[in-house]
Amino acid sequence: MSADLIVDPQIRFWVFLPIVVITFLVGILRHYASILLSSQKKVEMQQLADSQLLLRARALRENSGYIPKNSFLMRKQAFNKEDGYLMQKRPPVTQNMMTDPSMMTDMLKGNLTNVLPMIIIGGWINWVFSGFITTKVPFPLTLRFKPMLQRGIELSHLDASWVSSASWYFLNVFGLRSIYTLVLGENNAADQSRQMQEQMQMTGAASGMPADPKVPFKAEWEALEIMEHQSKLFDAEDVLQE
Amino acid sequence: MATKVKNEPFVAYSESAIRNNLSIVEYCRTSVAAVSGCTAGVLGLTGLYGALFFIVAVTGFWFMLLGKAGIDSWKKFFISRKSLLINGIFGHFFTYILCWTFIYGMVHVY
Repeated sequence: MSADLIVDPQIRFWVFLPIVVITFLVGILRHYASILLSSQKKVEMQQLADSQLLLRARALRENSGYIPKNSFLMRKQAFNKEDGYLMQKRPPVTQNMMTDPSMMTDMLKGNLTNVLPMIIIGGWINWVFSGFITTKVPFPLTLRFKPMLQRGIELSHLDASWVSSASWYFLNVFGLRSIYTLVLGENNAADQSRQMQEQMQMTGAASGMPADPKVPFKAEWEALEIMEHQSKLFDAEDVLQE
Repeated sequence: MATKVKNEPFVAYSESAIRNNLSIVEYCRTSVAAVSGCTAGVLGLTGLYGALFFIVAVTGFWFMLLGKAGIDSWKKFFISRKSLLINGIFGHFFTYILCWTFIYGMVHVY
């Protein structure tokens, strides 16, 4: 390669490689730590029944073509008539996040497994491996990428495709996502960036809990109401004869 | 009416089976991205050659997948042929870039 800059090979074994290994292993550690800390969410009977009801309604809507029209109308009636399943009244669910102690512990645990390691490991890496040029990306980049890729090195004449150690850490944090999926299976807890997104959403609404069943009930009711039955088996006899 | 609809017959898919297929394909594609990234790094490809190599690798994998599923019978396993090629390509490209940069740095920079 064109050696416009010669980097000490020691950096490869004592900075470049350790950052990758540390990032990867910390991700795996986070996965198992979060499994260890996670508490089973208690599900209310009523909520479970409601969600199953919604699933049933959706199954009816999607597979209606395989049952006779008569049966479809009967099922639809069961859901949609005046006192049908989807018209049931539910007491309004008010969940106060701050007063519910289990919510608070969940949030604390989330912070413990997400934010704390992020700060500690990130800060530690920045502190131990600061100011190294670690590698060069094998493609040319414009000057705009310089602040992104050369954090911690303020050299205005350095080519933009050199990567500093701090930036190499962040590239790893975001890039190892699919490798984690490969190693740990889907829905793992190792991925920091995904966790951060979840944290953002957490502030909006309590995640995972359908707060009020009324709204999805209404939507499902409407969808069923406007649905027109169309059989998919009308030519079953012909197909059979052929 | 029967003749009109007969041109486009309804095909029923099992949703969980389709999802299972897609997730397996996803694993394969991640592996392809990682392995091809490492290959590109070892070969020392730079610039556009690396991007071309990625495209070649992904398309090659696509053809292999279709060959495995059967040229005529892939419709049994997947709903859309195109989504097998396109879905999540940027995520895979990121994985590819990471592996590429990593191995390239290990082998060629120092």
